Amino acid sequence: MKTSRRALLRSAALGAGALASCERVVTQINRGLLGEAVPAKLALTTGAEIDADFHLLSRAAFGPWPGDVQRVKKMGREAWLEEQLHPDRIDDSACDLRAERFESIYFSAGDAYEFRKPVLRDEITRHSLLRAVYSRRQLHEVMVEFWTDHLNIDLEKGDCIYLKPSDDRDVIRKHALGNFHELIRASATSPAMLVYLDGKSNKVRKNTADKPNENYARELMELHTMGVHGGYTQSDVSEAARCLSGWTFDRNRFFALNQGESFFNASWHDDGIKQVLGTIIPPGGGEKDLDRLVKIVCDHPSTAKFVSTKLCKRFIRMEPPASAVETVAAEFTRTHGDIRCVLRALFNTPEFAASQGQLLKRPFKFMVSAMRALATDTTAEKTVLEPLQRMGHGLFQYPTPDGYPDEELPWMGTLMWRWNFGLALASGKQGDTRVELWRLAKSLGATNDASTWFSYLTGRTPKPEELAAFKDAEEAQLVGLILASPAFQRC
Amino acid sequence: MMTRRSLISKLALAAAPTFAAVPREESHTLIHVFLRGGADTLNLVVPHADDRYYRLRPGLAIPKKDVIQLNDRYGLHPTMKPLEGLYKDGRFGAVQSVGVDNTSGSHFDCQDQMEHGDSMHGSPAGGGWLGRFLRLNATEASSALSAVAIGTALPESLRGAPAVSVLERIEDIAIRTGKKGEDSTKVVQALQAMYGAEVTLLGQRGVETLDLFQRVSALQGKAEAPEHGAEYPKDGFGNGLREIARLVKARLGLQVACIDLGGWDTHFFQGNSSGTQAERIKTLAEGLAALDLDLTSHRTNYTIMVTTEFGRRVYENASLGTDHGRGFALMALGDRVKGGQVLGAWPIQAEEEINVNTPGPGGLHAETDYRQVFGEVLNGCFSGADLRQVFPGVELKPVGLM
Repeated sequence: MKTSRRALLRSAALGAGALASCERVVTQINRGLLGEAVPAKLALTTGAEIDADFHLLSRAAFGPWPGDVQRVKKMGREAWLEEQLHPDRIDDSACDLRAERFESIYFSAGDAYEFRKPVLRDEITRHSLLRAVYSRRQLHEVMVEFWTDHLNIDLEKGDCIYLKPSDDRDVIRKHALGNFHELIRASATSPAMLVYLDGKSNKVRKNTADKPNENYARELMELHTMGVHGGYTQSDVSEAARCLSGWTFDRNRFFALNQGESFFNASWHDDGIKQVLGTIIPPGGGEKDLDRLVKIVCDHPSTAKFVSTKLCKRFIRMEPPASAVETVAAEFTRTHGDIRCVLRALFNTPEFAASQGQLLKRPFKFMVSAMRALATDTTAEKTVLEPLQRMGHGLFQYPTPDGYPDEELPWMGTLMWRWNFGLALASGKQGDTRVELWRLAKSLGATNDASTWFSYLTGRTPKPEELAAFKDAEEAQLVGLILASPAFQRC
Repeated sequence: MMTRRSLISKLALAAAPTFAAVPREESHTLIHVFLRGGADTLNLVVPHADDRYYRLRPGLAIPKKDVIQLNDRYGLHPTMKPLEGLYKDGRFGAVQSVGVDNTSGSHFDCQDQMEHGDSMHGSPAGGGWLGRFLRLNATEASSALSAVAIGTALPESLRGAPAVSVLERIEDIAIRTGKKGEDSTKVVQALQAMYGAEVTLLGQRGVETLDLFQRVSALQGKAEAPEHGAEYPKDGFGNGLREIARLVKARLGLQVACIDLGGWDTHFFQGNSSGTQAERIKTLAEGLAALDLDLTSHRTNYTIMVTTEFGRRVYENASLGTDHGRGFALMALGDRVKGGQVLGAWPIQAEEEINVNTPGPGGLHAETDYRQVFGEVLNGCFSGADLRQVFPGVELKPVGLM
């Protein structure tokens, strides 16, 4: 079974790989047939403030791909957002052609043990970067990044490296724009999470002195749902851990049909009566205790507030305006965590509209937005991912469960590597990347013009003092310097 | 838990009132040397008073006449002559019988466990141990060069660090103009103009980064001779140590520097006072001594810790080598090291433990959990460091090395 499935997947991956290995072919197919080409004419924004459409594309996407701003202008922000909120309606075959060549991303948790760690690390990271750069389902990718931080799992802890690919696929990507309850429910029983936060050893066997392992139960409340000041007590944590006891993962389990998946071990479950956040969970609930628990914590008002605050921090500004949080939280409560509705509410707040340029791009967004703006051609090899490591933002490598922060300071020590990346990318020296500035310049209708490039890359016209810095720089260096400028570090 | 939150609030507070950077003159660098391959430290820190050592490795033991006597129990390999004076000065010392609790005997498993700061038992933590340390103890003054690894690949121990550079030479730290061989002055001027005009944290940190770059670039291109007549080994290890010394001298806020020395997996023809392993030991000793001499004027600013994934068995095998064991001698050098002593349990504990018929790893017990020593070294280098999440669940007890 295993071999044939693997062989099948491999041949599928090889099929894509054969095309992929001839990168120029993929590029030509994508540009010629699948709409990845730079449009013949690129309109420029002319205001001194960041253009509203550019702003939306900088937040609800990883920045505009050439032509995206025009497209939003034509269809309207509302229609664009609606389209993005339904990613399954967006044809993404150009991105698929680039990103689906990696074998390990198709494997179940148990089967991924067939791979060596460096292969797994390489493939999941490249896959994520390629999706972020090339997917037309940009809001989906942006939310994938958000939930990846929210439900952080470090590849380097224990066996997580084998289990994260399926978590990425079946938890994060599947539910990124779905329902919050379902997302949390899926995460709770994801093998990677069971290993990362020790849920797999949370057992209370009958007639033993077993104490439940509270690690996951605590983070479920503190980090995934209610927030540290959400109003739960130590007793709630202990009771939640009792509800969760018995959910485990064991890749060496014999005679199991679903080997390599998590399962509920009834003999490890504490089946007594429990009380979580004031709600009684009657005895004998067995594996259904989990669903009760997820509902209780997800429906708690603190959860709506906490998740909305985090969303506003990510998408509006790092100190989120209380009024916006309130609006978003109300929508969260009203819809029982319908992520689409919550995001629609968020991007429609006046606070969002007024927040242009107030966020610092974290390194991943900086890199991806630069690559998108220049219509970069890449297979995301090591030479592209290595700078991200230097910038302190290695994907899936945040050691503690709170995920990479939405703060400015932690990212301020590595500006030099951003500058180098920008300068190298623009001049075609960043390892496995290719850019064609002349093509963009032609579409922009100006060659070596600082003002034009600045407006194109930042969504606003430069101030005179900003322009002064670019004096005498030839095209590649000019573009590189704009990518390195304070203006491009913000969005 | 506390750490994480307090970190964030600390960062937030630090950002609020002022952007003033803490002077980096006070900074201390931990230089972490990893002997890859499982070094047979019994031939480095030699238990010359133990007859069993001589009985069980007749072809490989360091003859008594060659041993550099440290005390009535221990001595050094003859090629470690350059370190003898440092031991006598109380700046070089060792802890015997340190190890990981991993019994697999696998290089990969044991290195992996050690670099992640994990135990075979209990729940592992995320990231590498140095990465965690740097991430959790980051301050507003943390430099873009707070961590470097000499070589071409990121060591697992630094995974998760907030800023880490893998480099072979200081010249790798450069603002690249995009054009080969082009002078970066113009680009730097443009960056200065842009970031200098910004009255924000971003502008401030940009200017500081440029300042850092200029201090690095002042070092570049000048092949300044090492000071005080220090002579580094003429190989990758020696060159790497030399680069580390340049970074320490420049006071760039370097907190951790990692460097590897390979070639310790001596299953065959290991040699004794001379031979394969002796060459490695010579490189190590000469390298460390050269670094210490070169940094004579900066002695309070660094600590060197030398580790390996496991030691080797006492008895020699049929091909005149040694096989994978457990405990090893961890060595440290620096002003803050309580040197001049060999701490820890006597490496060869009892006759039955060194039974030549025992299959698999054995020979020497790992008495002291390596995290006890790593933790103490971190504390010694960076006083006030919060280590609870660096080595979660480990109660740090004094080892006496720092």
